[in-house]
Amino acid sequence: MSKLQEVNAAVAAGKTKVIADLVQEALDAGHSAQEILDAMIEAMDVVGDKFSSGEIFVPEMLIAGKAMQKGVEVLKPHLAGDASSKLGKCIIGTVAGDLHDIGKNLVALMIESVGFDMVDLGVDVPKEKFIEAIKANPDVNVVALSALLTTTMPAMRDTVKAIRESGLTGFKIIVGGAPITQEFADEIGADAYARDAGAAAVKVKELVS
Amino acid sequence: MLTKRQNLLETIRGGKPDRFVKQYEPFALVFGDPLMALAGPQPERGGPPIVNGWGVTMHWPEHVPGSFPVHDDEHKVLKDITKWKEVVKAPPTEAPEEDWSMIKNMAAGVDRNEYFVTVFMAPGIFEQMHYLMGMDDTLINFYEEPEAMHELIEYITDYKIRYAEQLIKHVKPEALLHHDDWGSQISSFLSPEMFKEFLLPAYKKFYGYCKDNGIEIIIHHSDSYAANLVPFMIEMGVDIWQGCLTTNNTPELIKKYGEKITFMGEIDNGLVDKEDWSKEEIEKVVEKACRSCGTKYFIPSTTMGLPMSVYPGVYEAVNDAIDKMSKEMF
Repeated sequence: MSKLQEVNAAVAAGKTKVIADLVQEALDAGHSAQEILDAMIEAMDVVGDKFSSGEIFVPEMLIAGKAMQKGVEVLKPHLAGDASSKLGKCIIGTVAGDLHDIGKNLVALMIESVGFDMVDLGVDVPKEKFIEAIKANPDVNVVALSALLTTTMPAMRDTVKAIRESGLTGFKIIVGGAPITQEFADEIGADAYARDAGAAAVKVKELVS
Repeated sequence: MLTKRQNLLETIRGGKPDRFVKQYEPFALVFGDPLMALAGPQPERGGPPIVNGWGVTMHWPEHVPGSFPVHDDEHKVLKDITKWKEVVKAPPTEAPEEDWSMIKNMAAGVDRNEYFVTVFMAPGIFEQMHYLMGMDDTLINFYEEPEAMHELIEYITDYKIRYAEQLIKHVKPEALLHHDDWGSQISSFLSPEMFKEFLLPAYKKFYGYCKDNGIEIIIHHSDSYAANLVPFMIEMGVDIWQGCLTTNNTPELIKKYGEKITFMGEIDNGLVDKEDWSKEEIEKVVEKACRSCGTKYFIPSTTMGLPMSVYPGVYEAVNDAIDKMSKEMF
């Protein structure tokens, strides 16, 4: 197994205790930081697919994400200033009135793992805060909104409307969460909907391609 | 006409119910036990955050529908699972005799020929863990620190058994409604293998204790996908799984497991309990649920964990729709 394959396998299996050494070994063996990062991203793509298909569960996804983060820490000094390593920037948050963060965190983890810079606004985020964040990050490509409650679906609708009416452009809006459907996403004028964290990562990549 | 109690037993035993069990109808929930207060208190809506009996900071902002644990670095109780013995202290499970009078009086007022005296316990074992350390840490710790997780689960389980012992002594309940959410709408949080290793033994011990000491009916609430955990629910002694969402393919579960466990739900809150609810829409959802799931091993119910709804009138409208279906299907 090549060093890159070892790194890939370690991320996929969530080997948080060995990943840093493996990444260092891959660097020492002459692989570029970008190659190693790509190997880790590829592993997370597979993790996302397996989560979407029900083959693995949340802990497996989290532990793989943690392994990826540890690997990226080793790579960071070698990637500094290399904008080509990023697919884009994503602002994410759970809409106003909703304190649920599990799904939002998973989606953030997966989108970050496939190559995006994340701006996580947290939970119970008013529409004004989303707009401020978009203004503060003019290079944003995707804005991701989460809602877990039927009671906060109106807040999601209001947030999409407010963002559209703000006149800010240059990014796509993706929505998700337990009560959200493709129909609802279409109805409120979102650009995309994802059923779960794995699907969100795939969809966000499509949105910026 | 069967009593509500008889009708429930006929339904869950596959006998001859004479109508649908109408949501929580046969369960007379009694509240106000002093141990709940010692484990609480609960924050007031719009009020300041409070620290509960486990040291967990709970907050209920005015504009959200329920209270939540606060899990920022400052407030998280358990930051390092390996140090749980130093940090986690369960609330007391002893209270003065007179503090039990409220719930005892409530129980005394229940007609036990018609209803099951039902006690309520929450949060569950898994929920207690993520209240203490946050969901992400909890789920990762199953992989990284399994030994400490087993120890903490045992500690929480033993607390719950001491709690149940007191409830049984003072209230003599016949049913337990216990909350522990085990999944999202589309998957269980844990794989079946992980669930089997960590939570199944704890629940066999807890529910086993309850059943050995007079609690006849265990109602476990998890408004989630958990179809992959049903064999474990049966093994641990759950009689009724409350909160069974449509994503579980309930009709299929009834065919496969109905003789061993009853499914209560199939009326997803997301479909009916909403701002713009209507009687007509609720009737459609309830009819679909009743016709697809049938009259045995099934209790039509919203997936809400208590006999109530977020929006006024929804719970009652669901009851009316179930009455209508009883007239058509019995």
